[in-house]
Amino acid sequence: MKKIALTGCPNVGKSVIFSRLTGVNVISSNYPGTTVDFTKGTTTIGGEKFELIDVPGTYSLEATSKAEEVARTMLQEGDIVINVVDATHLERNLYLTLETLEMKKPTVVALNLWDDTKHLGIDIDAAKLETLLGVPVVPTCAITGEGIKELASKAHSAEPSKTIELMSEKARWLKVGEIIRDVQVVHHRHHTVGERIADATVKPMTGIPIAILVILFMFLFIIKIGNAIIEYLMDPIFCNYYGPWIVGVVNSFAPSGLLHDILIGTSTVEALDFEQSLGILTTGLYVPFGMVLPFIITFYFMLSVLEDLGYLPRLAILVDTGLHKLGLHGSAIVPTILGCGCNVPGALATRILETKKQRFIAMTLMAISVPCMAQSAMIFAILGRYGLKWIFIVYSTLLVLYILLGLLLKRIVKGESPELLLEIPPYRKPDPVTLLKKTWSKAYEFLAEAVPFVILGIFIVNLLYIFGAVDVLSMVFSPILTTLLGLPEGAIVALMLGVLRKDIAIGMLLPLGMSPQQLTIACIILSTYFPCIATFFVMLHELGVKYMLEATGLMIVVSFSAGMIMRVILIGIS
Amino acid sequence: MRDVNPDGRGVPLTTLLPGERAQIVALGHGSGRQHHFRTMGLMEGKIVKLIATQPARGPFVIDVEGTQIAIGRGMARRILIRKL
Repeated sequence: MKKIALTGCPNVGKSVIFSRLTGVNVISSNYPGTTVDFTKGTTTIGGEKFELIDVPGTYSLEATSKAEEVARTMLQEGDIVINVVDATHLERNLYLTLETLEMKKPTVVALNLWDDTKHLGIDIDAAKLETLLGVPVVPTCAITGEGIKELASKAHSAEPSKTIELMSEKARWLKVGEIIRDVQVVHHRHHTVGERIADATVKPMTGIPIAILVILFMFLFIIKIGNAIIEYLMDPIFCNYYGPWIVGVVNSFAPSGLLHDILIGTSTVEALDFEQSLGILTTGLYVPFGMVLPFIITFYFMLSVLEDLGYLPRLAILVDTGLHKLGLHGSAIVPTILGCGCNVPGALATRILETKKQRFIAMTLMAISVPCMAQSAMIFAILGRYGLKWIFIVYSTLLVLYILLGLLLKRIVKGESPELLLEIPPYRKPDPVTLLKKTWSKAYEFLAEAVPFVILGIFIVNLLYIFGAVDVLSMVFSPILTTLLGLPEGAIVALMLGVLRKDIAIGMLLPLGMSPQQLTIACIILSTYFPCIATFFVMLHELGVKYMLEATGLMIVVSFSAGMIMRVILIGIS
Repeated sequence: MRDVNPDGRGVPLTTLLPGERAQIVALGHGSGRQHHFRTMGLMEGKIVKLIATQPARGPFVIDVEGTQIAIGRGMARRILIRKL
């Protein structure tokens, strides 16, 4: 099978073209660097099957950075190249185009975002560009699908350029300037109202209040809508329909005994208990579907809106100064926000940071202080019933830890913390269909991951109780838990499950009958002491064994110190 | 206020005020970074406009031919400009 390599600068819409050609849904966002790993798919053009490779976006193939090296190698694998160019920034995109053409592969150029050039007052003579480059140039609009068919058919019959020869870096820039003078006319335009509003979001006087409002709105949206989904959809389904039905079914073949207890735990038709019954078909399904999923949906919907709008890079600018004090820079806000959804993609997204020092700090702070949405949902659920105050205490403690540890790590970790250099994409209107698709794919990913692990977790807990292991473990760990932290011995079960998944671990706190103070301390410890197993392995892979050991040691020390300090502080709060 | 050095090499980008425009005269960075800047559209002869500066020595937001770039102050200082 012949290979087509899809290349282009960051944020030109390569991934959208990839989706159009292959029908595979690729996650795209309105900020550079969404495609960290390459993606492959297949497409059929003129009856022939091709493998399509989505190469991560780079500005050149000079191999001055890891990303450029990867791009160059992947490009060499392609038999045919589709070079995607942002027509609204032709000049800076052409450098990569020339470098690509110099490789003498059959090539087609896609002039993407073509429709945007018109209202930006940019006139491009595509026919002339085609003559100068010596390869087909196809205007496209990937979002609407315009030009994609033509692009595919031209790619099928593409040939290497006869007009572009190998040249030096300097000559290439001169050539770019020459081509631009020949094919592009930019008409002068006045600043539009939209651009004025866009600028207001990066000016500190207006930008900071806007950022606070955006984050507040996001937070309220996630909580309020999430709670509404639980109250009006999930709870009625579980309590009125699913619950009585499943208890009836299980009772019909296992009215009591081991199997009954593992399947539905202590639930009966009269006393349905989804939170504490510890059955894999009651608690095991209620935790992921009834307690966490609603918040996963609202979180990822809101995140997708911010991503596609292009707001995150602006937020990065506003928080840059603050994050420098923690040894990071503004871009670290992106992995941190992703980490609020799930720490795994958050840890992977730290690749956008330049140095090992920044990446170590960003990942360690995230593992300690950024609870994922599944964990947050459970914290809202079990602490919310005692009042918002307790939720506020948990998150304030995590924020204080984030700042104190950042200040400390900046000083003790060796290495560089470079300055921010970030291209800010134009604001784009999010497409409702794309938003729903992204939200759905995240919800699906969550369920595929969470349901088996939560059920496994509950199964393990049942075994631990049945074989009396809980009593032994409780006794062994009671000096730490009871004496130092003031928690019931049974909390050891939650700490053990927390390694597997944090959501079900917090759920394990419920049957212990703790006071709100104890629950608050337990939630802080569960958030900080160790990442879940999935995050642990991603961090291990990204950081290496030595750094991961250091990070883990820090987590344990910080977690138990914070727990003991909070125990003292919370004596004064009731 | 002196806008151009006597030798005509220009002044640092950091002397611009929000809303002011200038032409880039030289990039005073290592060759790797210069190359990176050029691929982002920052190169000699281009017109830049300062959109915003962040407080407490935070980054600058500049506009180069319709592309906005956030750049740390240390890096911005080594871009030499001639005010327009």
